[in-house]
Amino acid sequence: MMASNLATQYRDLTPAKALDKKTLNQMAWRSLFLQGSFNYERMQAAGWLYGIIPGLKKVHTNKEDLSLSMQHNLEFFNTHPFLVTFVMGIILSLEQEKADLATIRAVRVAAMGPLGGIGDAIFWFTLVPIAAGISANLALDGSIAGPIVFLLMFNVVQFGVRYWLMHWSYDLGTKAIEAITRNAKEFTRAASILGILVVGALTSLYGGTTIALTIPNGESPIVLQTILDGILPKLIPLGLTLGLYWLIKNKNWSAVKCIGLLLVLGLVGGFLGIF
Amino acid sequence: MTFSFLQIVLVMVVTFIAAIDQFSFLESLYQPIVMGPVVGAILGDMNTGLIVGGSYQLMMIGSMPVGGAQPPNSVIGGIMATVFAISMKITDPQAALGLSIPFALLGQYSVILVFTITSPLMAKADEYAAKADTDAIERLNYFTMAMLGLFFSLVVFAGLMFGQAIGETLTTALPAWVWNGLKAAGGMMRFVGFAVLLKVMMSNEYWGFYFAGFALATIVDKSGLGGQALALIALIGFAVAVYDYQTNVKMKQFGKKEVSDDGI
Repeated sequence: MMASNLATQYRDLTPAKALDKKTLNQMAWRSLFLQGSFNYERMQAAGWLYGIIPGLKKVHTNKEDLSLSMQHNLEFFNTHPFLVTFVMGIILSLEQEKADLATIRAVRVAAMGPLGGIGDAIFWFTLVPIAAGISANLALDGSIAGPIVFLLMFNVVQFGVRYWLMHWSYDLGTKAIEAITRNAKEFTRAASILGILVVGALTSLYGGTTIALTIPNGESPIVLQTILDGILPKLIPLGLTLGLYWLIKNKNWSAVKCIGLLLVLGLVGGFLGIF
Repeated sequence: MTFSFLQIVLVMVVTFIAAIDQFSFLESLYQPIVMGPVVGAILGDMNTGLIVGGSYQLMMIGSMPVGGAQPPNSVIGGIMATVFAISMKITDPQAALGLSIPFALLGQYSVILVFTITSPLMAKADEYAAKADTDAIERLNYFTMAMLGLFFSLVVFAGLMFGQAIGETLTTALPAWVWNGLKAAGGMMRFVGFAVLLKVMMSNEYWGFYFAGFALATIVDKSGLGGQALALIALIGFAVAVYDYQTNVKMKQFGKKEVSDDGI
């Protein structure tokens, strides 16, 4: 069954018992494998689901609801690997409250998007250069302390951030739940607006597809990509997304069929030198 | 220098772990500063490993001038550079890195292959989820990680067994356009993920917000903000969402009041 034909809410709407510390810690540990099944289509989706399975099992005690939750948690997901527990905590508080699927999905998309740049700034552009700078010089002097210092510095920060974010965001989510459920319909609408706006932004920011075609024109060949950019920058990512949306919605195409189409398109394009 | 059976197996095991670690687990074991000395110790010369790993690490964070091209995959780049530095007695880390480039390219190809193969596997994951089979999801995750680890250790195995020349032979086994095509296809596949998200999230009243997000991102992206663009756009989106929420909650309260007034 495709994720798009799902029910809109859980069968059992009684809020579940709060998650214990052990389950939260289990999820924080599993968050290390967020990118285990990384792929071009849904990126971290399967690793994300892998991470929250301990929590979902506790929250959804009947099989139908667990299945429903697993299916919508397999939709496209991508965030910063070191900050993912922030998203986990909030989403688990919503799952526990049995919020409707549209709300959970919209909050998930809205929360995952902006973390990427923040995480890069903290980890790859600050922590790694500092830790690597100190430890590489030790290594160059022939000291085994080099790699040890590097691993310690990096992982103390990494584990601290992962576990702290997990507990903090779960508390945050549980506290906000009351206000959210009081105006559930309005909240879902607002979250959807933010979520869809983020999907629109992702289409542009994650969309790097360009074409390398030129039309020979004597001294000054016409570069097709420049013309397309003149019409609308990022026209290809937008066009492809809307085209695939149309195929999936109106022609009932499966995701696999779409992937197949893109594979053919990529290889033919690669052969002809379009990309 | 020839390697013993045990050395080859140990380097392959270490490579297997490092390949997985570049995306999952500690995301730090794979760094050249760690892999250099580990591989060096296995091959009986930890000091060379420390120096190759340390220099490569400094190059990667930009604190050392880069002479020549950098290996496209730092996991295999660091491991094979250490292997060549020790086996061929090369004292210049730059030269050892240069020799590792074909293998690092094979590492990059392996990543492309695994990310491509795993995309259609997501349909399988959907089936497992529909059956609420959590064990199968876990197995899938371990399987894909093992696949990446295996590809990487095979590349390193080829280098250890057949020396430096095999790298170039293997990189040309498939013509470049195939890799270009796969990479382009890979870059487009995320649009399938977006399209499915749109299908489940979209109703007609929201289309404007989709295009607004697209437009904002495209404008902000031109300003060169890079990764921070999305956070800033989310702030604008947040303002819109909060405003919408407050307006609708007020309207609801107002509506209720009217009803109760009528009741009196």
